[in-house]
Amino acid sequence: MGKILIVDDTLFMRTLLKNILFSGGHTIAGEAGDGEEAVAKYKELKPDLVTMDVVMPKMNGIEALKGIKAIDPAARVVMCTAVGQEQMVKLAIKSGAKGYIVKPFQAPKVLEEVKNVLAS
Amino acid sequence: MKEVPAKIEHNNTWVVVKIGVGEDRIALPEPVNKEILFKTVSDVAERKNVLIITVKTDTEVVYKILSVEKVLAIIKKLILGSCNAYRLMAYFMSPAIKGGVMIKDAQWEKGSVVVVHSGIWFVSATKQICVPVMEVASIELTKREVQNKPTDVVRINHLESGEVVSSFVLCPLSTLQVLYNFLKETTKGMDMKGTELDGVDQQVAMLIYSGMDSHAIENMLNLPHKQLDSIYDKILNLGIAEVVTIRREVQLTTKGVRYISDATKTQTN
Repeated sequence: MGKILIVDDTLFMRTLLKNILFSGGHTIAGEAGDGEEAVAKYKELKPDLVTMDVVMPKMNGIEALKGIKAIDPAARVVMCTAVGQEQMVKLAIKSGAKGYIVKPFQAPKVLEEVKNVLAS
Repeated sequence: MKEVPAKIEHNNTWVVVKIGVGEDRIALPEPVNKEILFKTVSDVAERKNVLIITVKTDTEVVYKILSVEKVLAIIKKLILGSCNAYRLMAYFMSPAIKGGVMIKDAQWEKGSVVVVHSGIWFVSATKQICVPVMEVASIELTKREVQNKPTDVVRINHLESGEVVSSFVLCPLSTLQVLYNFLKETTKGMDMKGTELDGVDQQVAMLIYSGMDSHAIENMLNLPHKQLDSIYDKILNLGIAEVVTIRREVQLTTKGVRYISDATKTQTN
C-alpha cells in the first residue's frame, strides 16, 4: 500500500481516483490541480507514487513528470491518458513514467497498475 | 468434398458428424441433412469454438458447428471469401492499439475486410479476427503515419474485456469512404446524439464504468437517492446500462429492536 499524490485538473477525476485508491487500501498524500502544483506538492509530500493527468493548464503532465524526475529520478509516476493518446504514452514512458492508466478509469485496472508500479 | 470432424447442433443437442467441405458449399449430414451454399450465408459469428452461420434464402436459418480451431479456420476462410457480405481487399492492422498503447509487433497485413450483419471480420492468410458490431465503440476516418507518410485510414475502436482496442484499415481513399459509410450504417443502432445525458448524468455513467456502486456514487456526487434513481431510469431507458443487483434498505421492527436489546444485555452481562 502506498502514499499517493493525485494530479488532475478536474475535481471529479480526482475524487474518482481518490475513491478507487482508498478502496484499494492506499493513503492519499495530497492532490494537485495542475503541473506546477504537482511539482511543488511532490517536493513537500514525497509520495510513494503520483497519478498524473496529461492535459492540464499552466504546466502539462509531461512537463510536470520531467520536473518531478529532476527532483527525484526514482519517482514513480503513473500517467492518466485518454483513449487515442498513444503517442503521449510513448513520450511519457520515454520521459520516465513507470506506467499509465487510460480514462475512463476502471477500478481494478487502476489498482493493478498502481500495485505493479509500487512493486517495481 | 473433403470431410472434417465436427459437431452440429440439432434440437438443442450436439451431434457428432463428418462435415463435407467443398469450394462453394458445406454439406451437413444427417440429422440436419443440409447443403449450404456459401453465397446464401448472410451472417457468420464465432463464440469460442462454435461457428454460427445464418443462411438466408426464403427464410432465415441458423446453423451451429462446433469443432477444433483448425477445422473452423478452414470453414470460416471459405465462407468469408464467398458469403453475402460487404467485402473489400485491404491492408489492416488488428489489433493495433490496446488500452491506448500500440501493441508490440503489430503489423500491416494484406487481406480482406468482410462486414456481415453481426461483425467486422479481418481475414488474411494467417488471421481471422472478428470485431462484433455490438462491441464497436467508434469508427472514424483519420490519418496515420504509414512509412513515414500521413495516410488516410479507417480506425475502428471496440471494447474487449473492458478495454478499448483499435484496428486500422488501409486502402484507397474512395474505398475507405465507402467502408466508413457502410460501417457507420451497420453500427447505427449503437449511435447516440450526445445530447441525451446532461453533465451529472454523464458523471454517473462514468462512475458506473469505473465500478462504483450506488452508495459510492451518491456520496461522491452528493446526490439524493431519488435523484440517482431517476438518472438510473434515464440511462436504463437509453439502453446504455442494465440492472445487475437490486439492493434493499430495511429498518428493524419492534420485534427486531427487542431482539437486539436482549442480545446486547446478554453480551454485556
